[in-house]
Amino acid sequence: MNRSSKLSKVYLALVFIILYTPIFYLIFYSFNSGGTMSSFKSFSLEHYKAVFADTRLIMILINTIIIALLSALISTAIGVIGAIGIVYLKNRKSRNALLSLNNVLIVSPDVIIGASFLILFTMVGVKLGFASVLISHIAFSVPIVVIMVLPKLQEMSSTLIDAALDLGASKREVLSRVIIPYIKPGIFAGFFLALTYSLDDFAVTFFVTGNGFTTLSVEIYSMARAGITLTINALSGLLFIVTLLLVLGYYFVTNRTKNPLRTGVPK
Amino acid sequence: MQNNTNRSYYLVPYFGWMMLFVIAPLVLVIYFSLFDLHGNFSFINYQNFFTSVYLKLTLSSFWYAFLITAFTLAIAYPTAYWLTKTKHKQLWLLLIIIPSWINLLLKTYAFIGIFGVKGPLNKLFESMGIGTQQILYTDFSFIFVSVYIFIPFMILPIFNSLDKMNPTLIDAARDLGSSTWTTFTKVIFPLTINGVKSGIQAVFIPSLSLFMITRLIAGNKVITLGTAIEQQFLVTRNWGMGSTIAVFLIMFMVIIMILTGQKDKGALSNEQIK
Amino acid sequence: MTDNTIIRFENVTKSYDSATPVLNNVSFEIERGKFYTLLGPSGCGKTTILRLIAGFMEPTSGDIYFNGNKINHVPANERQVNTVFQDYALFPHLNVFENIAFGLRIKKLKKEEITRRVLEALKFVNLEGYENREIVEMSGGQKQRVAIARAIVNDPEVILLDEPLSALDLKLRTEMQYELRELQQRLGKTFIFVTHDQEEALAMSDEIFVMNAGVIQQSGTPMDIYDEPINRFVADFIGESNIVPGVMIADYRVQFGGKDFECADKGLSPNEKVDIVIRPEDLEITTVDRGKMTVKVDTQLFRGVHYELSTFDKDGNEWLVHSTKKAAVGEEIGLDFDPEAIHVMRLNETEEEFDKRLESYGEENHAK
Repeated sequence: MNRSSKLSKVYLALVFIILYTPIFYLIFYSFNSGGTMSSFKSFSLEHYKAVFADTRLIMILINTIIIALLSALISTAIGVIGAIGIVYLKNRKSRNALLSLNNVLIVSPDVIIGASFLILFTMVGVKLGFASVLISHIAFSVPIVVIMVLPKLQEMSSTLIDAALDLGASKREVLSRVIIPYIKPGIFAGFFLALTYSLDDFAVTFFVTGNGFTTLSVEIYSMARAGITLTINALSGLLFIVTLLLVLGYYFVTNRTKNPLRTGVPK
Repeated sequence: MQNNTNRSYYLVPYFGWMMLFVIAPLVLVIYFSLFDLHGNFSFINYQNFFTSVYLKLTLSSFWYAFLITAFTLAIAYPTAYWLTKTKHKQLWLLLIIIPSWINLLLKTYAFIGIFGVKGPLNKLFESMGIGTQQILYTDFSFIFVSVYIFIPFMILPIFNSLDKMNPTLIDAARDLGSSTWTTFTKVIFPLTINGVKSGIQAVFIPSLSLFMITRLIAGNKVITLGTAIEQQFLVTRNWGMGSTIAVFLIMFMVIIMILTGQKDKGALSNEQIK
Repeated sequence: MTDNTIIRFENVTKSYDSATPVLNNVSFEIERGKFYTLLGPSGCGKTTILRLIAGFMEPTSGDIYFNGNKINHVPANERQVNTVFQDYALFPHLNVFENIAFGLRIKKLKKEEITRRVLEALKFVNLEGYENREIVEMSGGQKQRVAIARAIVNDPEVILLDEPLSALDLKLRTEMQYELRELQQRLGKTFIFVTHDQEEALAMSDEIFVMNAGVIQQSGTPMDIYDEPINRFVADFIGESNIVPGVMIADYRVQFGGKDFECADKGLSPNEKVDIVIRPEDLEITTVDRGKMTVKVDTQLFRGVHYELSTFDKDGNEWLVHSTKKAAVGEEIGLDFDPEAIHVMRLNETEEEFDKRLESYGEENHAK
C-alpha cells in the first residue's frame, strides 16, 4: 500500500514537472538579458519593453482579444438558443440528428475546418481578413457552447418549467426567470471555453486570414519559423498571466453561482 | 411549451449557422475534390490519391498517429487513475488542464529551445558525456511534443469515467476474491473503456491532421495528412487535391468515430449510482 | 351540478398516441372547500387528471369546467390553481423568499404587499425565519413546506398536490399528513391530492376517487370505500382483504368456501356468482367447534399491534387474519365473524348500480 502510493506520488510529480517545465522554461528566459533560450545572462525586462514598444505586436494583441471577445459573445448567444432548441425538440430522432450535426465541427480536425471555410469564404466572396476570421471563430465556437449548455438544460427537471407556468409565468418569463438563471453556469462555461478556443486557435485562422490581418497565434508561428526571439517568451509570460486570470475568474464566477446539481429532489 | 411553431423563429440563427458552417463546407469540400487544377470536372485527384506517394503518406500519418495515441494513453491512464486517488482531485485535475489552455504555439515554441543544439537537454547530455545530439527535427521530438500537447485531452475523459465509477464495485470485486490486477483488468478498465475511447478519439484524429508541429518541430521530415492538406491549399494552391485529401481524412475520421463509438455499458452502471 | 361545484370533468379522455388512453371517458365533480384524494397505482391516470386541471396538458376529448367555464384551452399560467409538485420543483437559483414570491412577482404586486404575503405564508407553514435560506440548505420536510407556501401564497381556489409526501420518511410523512389536513381546514380551500398510498388517502380525505387503468373505479368517503368496496380491485387496493369467489344463494344467504353464511346483502339474482370480501381484522380466532369456518395456520408474523396469520381453508382459499391472539403454526383453528363483515361484490357492477343497491339497503333500514 505504502510502496504503491509512493510510486504514484513520484509518477504524478513527474507528469506535473513535464507538463509545466516548458511553460516555466519559456517564462524564465523571457527575463534573460541575452538573446537566447540557452544561456541566462542576467535579469532584465527588456523583452517585455520590446513587446509594448512594438505597436504592430500590440495591434495584433488587440485584434486577437477583440476577435476572442466578439466571437465568444456571439457564439454564446447562438449556442444557447441552439441548445434550448435541441432540448425541447419533441422528436427524438431529429434531436439526435441535430446533435450529431452540431458536433461535426468539434470533432473535425482544424485543418479541414480551415480549408473548407477558406473555400466557403472564397465562394461567397467574403474578403479574407478580420471578417472571415471573426466569422470562423464564431462558427467553431457555437457547438462548444451548445455542448456546455446542454447538460444543464437536460438536468433541469421539467417540473421547474411546469411550476413556473403554474405560478403564472408566461413563456417569455419562464425563459428569463427560470431557464436562463438555471443554466447560467453552463452559459458562463460555454463563453469562457469559446474565449479560450478563439485565443488558442491557430490552424483555422491560418487558413482563413488574408494579408494584413493576423492574430497572435499566427504571428507567433511566423516568428518561430524565423527562429528564436525572446519577444515571444515575453509574450508567453504575459499570456500565461492572462490565462491564469481567466481561469481564476471563471472559477470565481462559477463557484459563486450556486451548484444547481442539488435540486429539490432528495436522493 | 406546447406549440413549437411560434417559437421556431428563435432558432433561425442556429439553423443558419448549421447550414452555412456545417453542411455547406462539407458539400463544398466534396465538390472541389471533383475538379482538377484547371477547373475541369474529373476524378484525377482520386486517382492521384491512390498512387504510392499519397498511400505512403497516409500510412506514415496513421503510424505516427498510432504511436502518439499509444504513448499518450500509456502515460495518461496511470495519471488519471492516481489522480482520482488524491485528496483534492478536482484541484489537481485543474492543474493538469491549465497547460492545455496555454497557447499551443507557445508550448511548441518552448521545445524549439529545450531541444535545441544549445538547449538544456543537450547540456545535460554533454555533462553525462553523451555529447550533443540532434534532437530537433527527428521522429522522437515530433512524437514527444505531440504526446506532451495531447496528454491533458486524454487524461480528462479517463479521469471522468474513473471518477464516476461506483467505488463499491471495486470492493465487490475484492470481496469476490479478485486480486488487484484482476480487479483492474476485469472491473476497472472495462468500466472506464468509454473514457479511454473518447480519449483516443480526442487524440488520434487531431494527430492525423497535425501540421504546425510537423513544420516547427519535425522540420518537414514528417508529413501528415494535415500537412499535405495545408501544402495543397496554401502552397501549391491545388484546392482540388487538397479537398480530396480532406475527403479521405473525413472518411478516416468517421471510421474512427464509429470504431470508438460508445456502447453505453459503463454509462448505465453510472446512472444507477444516482 | 350544485353551486358548490368548482371543477367538473365531462367525459374526459386523454391519450398520447393511438394506443390505450391514459384517461378513459372520465366524469366527476369537485366541490369547493373539500379535501379530495385521487388514489390508485402508478399509471392509473391520477396524475393525468391533476395535469389536466393544472393546464399542463389538454384533453383529447371531453370538457373541463372551472367555476362553470370551459377551460380546455386555457394555458396553465392563466388558471386559478397552483400545484405542489412531487419533487417540489423549487427553483434552485432562488432562495426561500424568492421561491415563494415567484408567483407574486409575476403578477407585479407591490414590494410591501409581496413581503407581507410571503412572510404570512411562511408563518402558515411554520417556517418563520427561514426566508433567507437557500433551497439546498433545507431538509426534505422543509422543502415540502416551502413548496406548499409557494402554492398558497397566490391564494388559488384549488391547490393540487402531486404525491407531495412520497419522498419523505415514514415519520415525517405521518406528521405532514396531519399538517396538510389541518392546513386545508384552516384555509378552507379545495385540495386535490394524488397518492398511491391508501393509508394516506384514508387518513386525510373528505372524498376519495379510487382509480385504475384510466377509469375512476369508485368514489366516496374513506369510510364508504373501506367498508363497501365496489369490486375486487378496490377491495384489494384499499387495505388488506380476503377476497374469495362465492355464490349468492338467496337474499341474506351467501355461499363460499363450501358453506352457507348469513350476510347483510340482498337484491341480487339467485345463484349469482359474486366476490366475497372479509377484512383480516374482522376475522376472530376461536376453537374449531365454535368457529364458522375451519382453517389451518400456515405462517404467523408478529406485527407489533397484532399477529398476522396466513391460513388456508379446505378449498385452498387463503384467509389473512389480524388478531391479538396467538396461534400455533400447523394448528387447525376456527374463524368467527359477523354477518356484516361479509361484503358481497357483484361482478362488473358500475358505480351507479352499486350506489343504488347500497341506497336500497339504507331505505329498508329506515323503514324498519
